[in-house]
Amino acid sequence: MKTRRHFLRSSTALITLPALESMGFRAFAAPKTAAPPNRMVFLGFGWGVTNETWFPDVKKTGAAWELSEGLKPLARHQKDITVVQGCSNKFANEAHWGSTFWLTGANRYAEPGQSFHNSISADQVAAAHLGKDTRYASIQLNTPDAQNSGHGPGLSLAWDLRGKPVAGVENPVAAFHRLFSNETTPLSERQAMLAQKRSVLDAVLEDAKRLQNGLTKTDIDKLDEYFQSIRDIEVRLGKDEQWLSVPKAKSPVAEPKPGLAGKEEIKVMYDLIVAALQTDSTRVLTYRQPVGTLLQSLDIKVAPHDMSHYSPGDRMAASQKRDATQSELLAGLIDKLKAMKEADGTSLFDHVALAYGSNIRTIHYLDNCPTVLTGGGAKLKLGQHLVLPKDTPLCNVWLTMLHGLGVPAERHGDSSGVVKELQA
Amino acid sequence: MRRLLVFLFSSVVLAADPAMPEKHRALFKEHCVSCHGPEKQKGKFRVDDLPLAITNVEIAEKWQKVLNAMNSGDMPPEDEKQPPSIAKADFLDDLANVMVAARRSLGDQKGVITMRRLNRREYKNTLRELLGVEINVAELPQDGGSGAFDTVGSNLFMSANQIEQYQALGREALEEAFAWQTAASVTKKLHYEGETTTPKVRDFVKYQIDARERAQKWVKAVDDAAAKPENKEIVAKLRAEFPNVSRFRREWARIPGAPNPRTFGFDKKGENDADLANDSLGAGWLKYHEYYTQMPDVDRGAYLGIQTRHPAELNVNYIELLVPFDWPVGDYIVRVRAAAVKDAPAERRFLDFGIHARTGKVLNTYEITGTMENPQTIEIPLTLTRANLSRDNRSLFFREKGSWDTNEEGNRKRAEAVKRNGIGPELVLWVDWIEVERVSNAAKPVPPGFAALKLPLDDKSPAPAAAELHAAFERFATEAFRGTPPPADYVERLMRLYDVRRKAGDKPVAALKETLSVVLASPMFLYLAEPSPDDKRRFLTHEELATRLSYFLWSAPPDVELRKSDLSKPDVLITQTNRLLDDPRSEGFLTAFVHQWLGLDRIDFFEVNRALYPRFDTGTKVAAKGEIHETIAHILKHSASLRDLLKADYVIINRVLAHYYGIHGVKGEGYEKVSLPKGSPRGGLLGMAAIHFMGGNGERTSPVERGAWVLRKLLHDPPPPAPANVPAITRLAGKVLTTQERLLAHQEDPQCASCHRKIDPIGFGLENFDAAGQWRTEDSYTALDANGKPDPKSTKRWPIQPAATFFKGPSFTDFFALRDIIASKSNAFARSFSEALIEFALGRPIGFRDEPLIDGIINQAGKKDLAMREFIHALVSSKEFHTK
Repeated sequence: MKTRRHFLRSSTALITLPALESMGFRAFAAPKTAAPPNRMVFLGFGWGVTNETWFPDVKKTGAAWELSEGLKPLARHQKDITVVQGCSNKFANEAHWGSTFWLTGANRYAEPGQSFHNSISADQVAAAHLGKDTRYASIQLNTPDAQNSGHGPGLSLAWDLRGKPVAGVENPVAAFHRLFSNETTPLSERQAMLAQKRSVLDAVLEDAKRLQNGLTKTDIDKLDEYFQSIRDIEVRLGKDEQWLSVPKAKSPVAEPKPGLAGKEEIKVMYDLIVAALQTDSTRVLTYRQPVGTLLQSLDIKVAPHDMSHYSPGDRMAASQKRDATQSELLAGLIDKLKAMKEADGTSLFDHVALAYGSNIRTIHYLDNCPTVLTGGGAKLKLGQHLVLPKDTPLCNVWLTMLHGLGVPAERHGDSSGVVKELQA
Repeated sequence: MRRLLVFLFSSVVLAADPAMPEKHRALFKEHCVSCHGPEKQKGKFRVDDLPLAITNVEIAEKWQKVLNAMNSGDMPPEDEKQPPSIAKADFLDDLANVMVAARRSLGDQKGVITMRRLNRREYKNTLRELLGVEINVAELPQDGGSGAFDTVGSNLFMSANQIEQYQALGREALEEAFAWQTAASVTKKLHYEGETTTPKVRDFVKYQIDARERAQKWVKAVDDAAAKPENKEIVAKLRAEFPNVSRFRREWARIPGAPNPRTFGFDKKGENDADLANDSLGAGWLKYHEYYTQMPDVDRGAYLGIQTRHPAELNVNYIELLVPFDWPVGDYIVRVRAAAVKDAPAERRFLDFGIHARTGKVLNTYEITGTMENPQTIEIPLTLTRANLSRDNRSLFFREKGSWDTNEEGNRKRAEAVKRNGIGPELVLWVDWIEVERVSNAAKPVPPGFAALKLPLDDKSPAPAAAELHAAFERFATEAFRGTPPPADYVERLMRLYDVRRKAGDKPVAALKETLSVVLASPMFLYLAEPSPDDKRRFLTHEELATRLSYFLWSAPPDVELRKSDLSKPDVLITQTNRLLDDPRSEGFLTAFVHQWLGLDRIDFFEVNRALYPRFDTGTKVAAKGEIHETIAHILKHSASLRDLLKADYVIINRVLAHYYGIHGVKGEGYEKVSLPKGSPRGGLLGMAAIHFMGGNGERTSPVERGAWVLRKLLHDPPPPAPANVPAITRLAGKVLTTQERLLAHQEDPQCASCHRKIDPIGFGLENFDAAGQWRTEDSYTALDANGKPDPKSTKRWPIQPAATFFKGPSFTDFFALRDIIASKSNAFARSFSEALIEFALGRPIGFRDEPLIDGIINQAGKKDLAMREFIHALVSSKEFHTK
């Protein structure tokens, strides 16, 4: 063990050692604190919304706002959601990338000599603070339909500290197993398994170390991804060790059927999000939602990209049906969050900060990103329609959420400050 | 290092920074400077001191702001004087293109090739070469996605999940490979006679007749009971509640005296028995089933018809054969002896072969030329792997092409036939028998991974001794690392791991597989490394060059011959390059390169509307996709000219496409070269159905999509990427207009015109191809009524008018003239091809310093009439290809 860590320390300045406490020197999880913990959830979709019918009337703001057609299914929660208009990521130029920079606000071209750059996403900033005491620091949910759904590059909505994509869980069955499947093997064997996994890391590191000899600087940077990945596994193994004698939470939901797609897939993923929070398996989740299979599951024949270029007719109808279905699904998620009671009598909803939206407004518009906020976790003023000055950084909204959750971030992405109007 | 190779091209680099032309200052002066100049800087933005040359990221961001503000229509503000449309369009046109160039220039890796990991395809192929098996790698994250080739290293990331996936997939590959090796000599065979179906249909007919009689008796009994005066009240109530008679009868239990359907033999096992009786009354498709049994030769074989009943009940639509679960992975041959009846129409003489009929994965389509007197036998090679272990990927099926691709489409065809003859589609395809054979792999060479291992592959032999294992791990790792021996400590670690597994109770083979899987997740296996300690550019070593060449032309590791060749000798390099291109493994290059170069993923983005294009069924779509690959493979194989892709007097098609295009002359079963009659619109990419299918949405054509594709892929004049925030034109929505009238609106707004004036005319010239790639001379448009349904009264028809004029270029009268103009620009096409090739081969984006390389490649290929193979020879002999 010592040699490997020593090597990790010396191999590259970028690889820092995990703090001792996260390496599993405490045998058990932190004692349950009295107050329910704060959580953060992001739900992102590609291809935007229907401009004409999704956004509430800008003339009716504050608490006196009216639901738009596309948000109608959220009527029962109107007092508990806030719609924010006017925000965007100023560097976003890619008209078909709905998620790549959504939570990061990064400039694709910030690095001279590179044609792609990204930076940490808001959920990962939160995970570093909210994720210490749970089995998983964060969980990224993804869809097998990502390429067809207008998200742009990435493996989930999340990007790590160094702006590299964080892998997501591809489908509800995999997510279920990650969260709730317990190993049936006895503790001693699982300990042996952990030891074996460490031996595997030792072996591949031996090879990586040799490979590193004589590489150029750019190549060493590239190989650092490998080292970083090994470190991530290490951290996870450390956490696994810490949680070895704690069985995974018993799932409050049944194992999903394999092959779910579109509407059903989203619905089941939402159920899993609630289950993950309810069991305190993690406190930070993101979900990169399907759009292509959503349309198919609604029996809409229009291809998703073509839908986003709607004009009145079947494509606009498809776009509106998508809006309504997504709102309906979100309303169902809010129902469940509200119904779930915490130990102190409050609800799960009261402790979640949830954002739902896309980097694409509609068609090829990247300004006024559709944004719905809900949940009491970030102490935001809910039941509002907020029209902010045009081109307010979307990252100001994320920063406001982070502050509300008690995450001490100074800034995020291209933020210029918090959104005071959002703070309760 | 002394180089024997003389490099073809100099590497003088004189890349000027991309700059806006001086003339555009006038627009700035006239329309911008009063608010964004020395006096006022509204929004803290000033343009008068903005340099025209974009030399750094800050300047680029400022110009991007200008582009965004003008594209969105925010600047100049509405109430200010607006620049003339043409000037504004020119300005935006130049700026958008300069920004593309600037991004490229600022993102230029200066020729540096980032070390990269194997991408998903290469990883799969590398395992195949090492272990002799193909595994499914779909669970690895998709590569690329930012528009670059999947070989570009800087976009290929690594994550913790991935490392674990690599180990799991490596383990899976080892399981599969061990299974192949241990079952190498197993042979199996099953034979299925077509007439197996016939007694089933006969019995079903008997059953249907009998059940109908019983159902009629029951109905009569229920009706009699219902007619009894004492039941009047309840019957009236039920009739009101259930106006439908079947539904009414379902409530038989509430009518006193009505008999239980079960007494008539209808037992639906716990569900309502009346449903079964009601259903039997209709005897659905009895006539069709009777028709089947009355066909000649049903005692010798089976006809392939349509779906009538649920396939579990009776299946006359397809024949499905499950490969027995205990048959091992390996190479299989499927044979089918089939015929078409004498008067079968030409379009119904095609047989689909695939796996799992219900989800309809068609693998290939065959034309049936055999007659009832003299049927033909088709042989289909097939590989089954550990991914084919479940029923739904182990059931082989044969079905008439397009007869039941989807329920919707099957129902439509069936209803049409019933309307015509009262029975259903005529039975025209006949199957005598089917054979599935598992053939021995024993004669195949042992894959290099196993050759290196030299260890027992089952636990019957004694466990290997430590020294033997140590040597085996070292040899296996060396092979997996493409010839580089592993460090000693690494082998030690592997030994320890093996011991851990053995102590944990693993048998030797299990411990061996577990240990070897670590090798397949190690960096030396996953990364293509070219170390260069002093950060200086250097020539590649022989081994590195062999690796680079084989990952370029095979997407797979070099074989022994390549590793041993002295590729620094020009003649050896030429010989080896030709050998690689002629090897079947070059499929790995061709498929991936063509797919990404031509942007073919769009083919699978949407489904064709089969009501509008019934002939473009699944089998035809598969064949049309194949045409692109087969044509390019032909050109590469025969050293033909790249020009053939722009215009050709031949096509490379199979029988399915020959029928679709109405071209005669295909003789064999596969794709082959057929000469075109004079005046045919086919030949070259612009004659291919799949290309035009991509340029639409499965329903209507999209001249914009097509025009942009031609500019991007053929004419080396790519329009800038879809700009963000350009206002959409909505005023024409719902109006009944011709495509041309609709698109002309693009010319009114300068923001639209700046790109569309180039794109749209080309699209107009291709309008003779419909959304499924068939030739047409007329188009129509039907508006939707208030309920969103097509309103036939609104339908407008118009003849296709393909005449148009290139922006600042020549005019053309029709498709043929357009094709000639495009074909005359073969140098632009050669440039587009060369750039794609360089990016794919070197795994880095094209930079400005690549201009000499591109010119050199085109020059060399130009001397051989732009022979496709010559581009590859020129590239692999260039200095760039030989340099880290």
